[in-house]
Amino acid sequence: MDKPAEGKKPVKRQGPIRVEAVVPLLIVVGATVLYFSLFFDSHLRRGLEYGATQANGAEVNIGRLQTSVFKASMLIGDVQMTDPLQPQRNRVQIGEMRFGMLWDALLRGKVVIEEAVIEDVQIDTPRKRAGRVLPPPPPQSGPSASDKMLATLKEEFSGNVVGDLAAIAAGANPSEQLQQITGELKSDAYMDALQRSMDETEQQWKTRMAALPRGEDFGALRTRLGDVKVNDVKDVAQLQAAVKELQAIRDEFEAKGKTIGEAGTVLAGDLKGLQSSFAGIDDVVREDVRGLQARMKLPTLDASNLSRALFGMDVLGKLQQARGYMEQAREYLPAKSAEQAKPAPRNIHKGRDYAFGHPRGYPAFWLRRALVTSRLPGEKGLSGEIRDVATDQALVGRPMIATLKGDFPQQEVAGVKAELVIDHTQSEPVERVQLSVARYGVAGRSLVDSPSVKLGFAKAAASAAFTAELRGERVDIQAGNRFHDVAFETTAQSPVVRGMMDASLAGLRTVSMDARVRGTWGDLDMSLSTNLGDALARGMKRYLQEKMDEARKRIQAQVDSRIAAQRQKLMARRAELESRLKSVLADKQAQVDKLRADLDAARRDLEQRKNAATDAQKQKLKQDANQLLDKWRR
Amino acid sequence: MTLLLKQLFALFRLLNSDTGTNQIAAGVACGLILGFAPMLSLQGLLVFVCMFLFRIQIGAALTSAVFFALLAWLVDPVSHALGTAILETESLRPLFTTLYNLPLVPLTQFYNSVVMGAGVLSLLLAPLVFFGSKRLIVAYREKVVARFKTSPFWKLWSGTTFFKWYSTYEKFHG
Repeated sequence: MDKPAEGKKPVKRQGPIRVEAVVPLLIVVGATVLYFSLFFDSHLRRGLEYGATQANGAEVNIGRLQTSVFKASMLIGDVQMTDPLQPQRNRVQIGEMRFGMLWDALLRGKVVIEEAVIEDVQIDTPRKRAGRVLPPPPPQSGPSASDKMLATLKEEFSGNVVGDLAAIAAGANPSEQLQQITGELKSDAYMDALQRSMDETEQQWKTRMAALPRGEDFGALRTRLGDVKVNDVKDVAQLQAAVKELQAIRDEFEAKGKTIGEAGTVLAGDLKGLQSSFAGIDDVVREDVRGLQARMKLPTLDASNLSRALFGMDVLGKLQQARGYMEQAREYLPAKSAEQAKPAPRNIHKGRDYAFGHPRGYPAFWLRRALVTSRLPGEKGLSGEIRDVATDQALVGRPMIATLKGDFPQQEVAGVKAELVIDHTQSEPVERVQLSVARYGVAGRSLVDSPSVKLGFAKAAASAAFTAELRGERVDIQAGNRFHDVAFETTAQSPVVRGMMDASLAGLRTVSMDARVRGTWGDLDMSLSTNLGDALARGMKRYLQEKMDEARKRIQAQVDSRIAAQRQKLMARRAELESRLKSVLADKQAQVDKLRADLDAARRDLEQRKNAATDAQKQKLKQDANQLLDKWRR
Repeated sequence: MTLLLKQLFALFRLLNSDTGTNQIAAGVACGLILGFAPMLSLQGLLVFVCMFLFRIQIGAALTSAVFFALLAWLVDPVSHALGTAILETESLRPLFTTLYNLPLVPLTQFYNSVVMGAGVLSLLLAPLVFFGSKRLIVAYREKVVARFKTSPFWKLWSGTTFFKWYSTYEKFHG
């Protein structure tokens, strides 16, 4: 097949080895070396930037990157991680990171870093330009239970309770807003349902009553009873026939009487059900009143409500942050069970990686120790340690522990102590955080921002403590803040509101906030208290209680009047239905009782006759026996 | 780029000549393995080294690699299922554990379901593709090239000065 064609230049036969490829191969090797010398660092830097950006959810920049192939070492400098919530600022900025990797592990396709040095760590630094923030990833299969829970909390806290109260204080009369209730109320629907329920009950009882024994049935039994010859019994055979007939009548009577007795019991149950349904009207009315209050932005004036309105969003933010970090930790450092569960890969084209590690093997990534340092003038700075960041903690057998303590003087943050433990060595993943900040400055922090009033901390010195334990699906988070030397900033157009706010906040120099969130991600219980909420509730009550009480009464009256006619009608109908059914059943029961009495009388009569006949027989036998004995004696 | 273009021209020349059937077929088979393997992997590098060391038509390998990479992308779900089945085979677990902890072998990424599935598929299909390509090349030469060379267009083109000049050039430079 490969023979040269006739008449053509004979092709020189060549062996299977491409000897002339040595030069191109050398060129390729040279080009590879050249690539690694000139371009690899730049490409790796961009690759790392891309990966880190995806993990961070916002732009990550790496200023410089140097690698050494022979030493298997890397230097990464000027790392800036954008804060997704404030793209103008960096969440974390790192001056330099240096580390060397084990060749032994690299040859096995793993990255093991014995020791890394992370220097000049800063937080919350400004960026030259705003970082790009990635859109949130689309949910894979609808919102999860925890998404729904957090959305519910967000909806609760996004309302502006203090602003609404200030608007009322400024002159808005909530009761005047309620000219006419528009739209469907829950009470309306409830009344309609009650009406339908009564219709059904009435229909059912109509059918049931028709099926119950009627007067004629009992009349027939009475006739049969009359035909039994109780008085004319002449011998034992007649007596037996009368007893038998009486028993047959009694059986039939019992069967008929039983249905009436049962109907009486069912009727009592049905009437009780109707009664409790009517009692439910009050609950629905209360719900409607609450709904209308919410629609009219008529908040309740209690300290707990105000506390949640003031600091709820802050706590929610921390909660969402904790969940975000938890999800990342569980994705990148999967727990033992996650491996066994074999989830479908997110991207089918990327497949799923299996780990076949043995006890002395390496995980895909393992940072054994990283020292965090940040020295600043005046002996201030930051020091910390990160241990055992591994993609397979079960294989390594150790949890990841990160500790950090020090100050961030540029951000006016002092006395930071943090410990993070990510324990994914067992089937149930556990993450624990303990963080305390001895002092940090607060300036221009807004607490309430509404058209009627603006309230915030103009300046304060604060301290904070935060502990969290996330174990599987369970959550236990405690957060506490203390704001000292507080200078409030209040803006209100209405002098009444200004007065109210001033009176509420007078003498308040320290604000404390304590929050605790417990439960599972799908069912969280949040408790929150702050003395600022207490103070505002006390101060506002003096101004607002009367207006709000009036508004509430008016709402109640409107709802009551709207349903009053139908309620009255339904109650009358229930009474009529109840008395009608009871009366019919009572009649039937009276007939049953009367017939039972007749039957009992007949039975007693027959019993007497039977006893008399038996006695007469006995007497006759005795006389006969005596006569016989007398004969023998003679 | 010049090297690549040269290889592509060589591919066309070989296709339209009567020689190099095995080289082209081997190139297509190598392209199959390359296309089914990840871009940066040990097996890909090995195939490249083989392409350089042995007389395999590089143009055919690179062209078919592009085509087979697209095909591999389309059959990724199948590869994933096959790879998952292989990697989860309990009897093979000790072998995989040994391989996983050996130097260099993990660089093949055999522990990935898609890579394993696509790798097994490509190895199974490589002989078929090799022999199938050979038959196709022969059929192409017999049915397309031979007919084209008898066409009036080719006769007109082969009579031009430019063609004669190129033929002379090719005779000297190969």
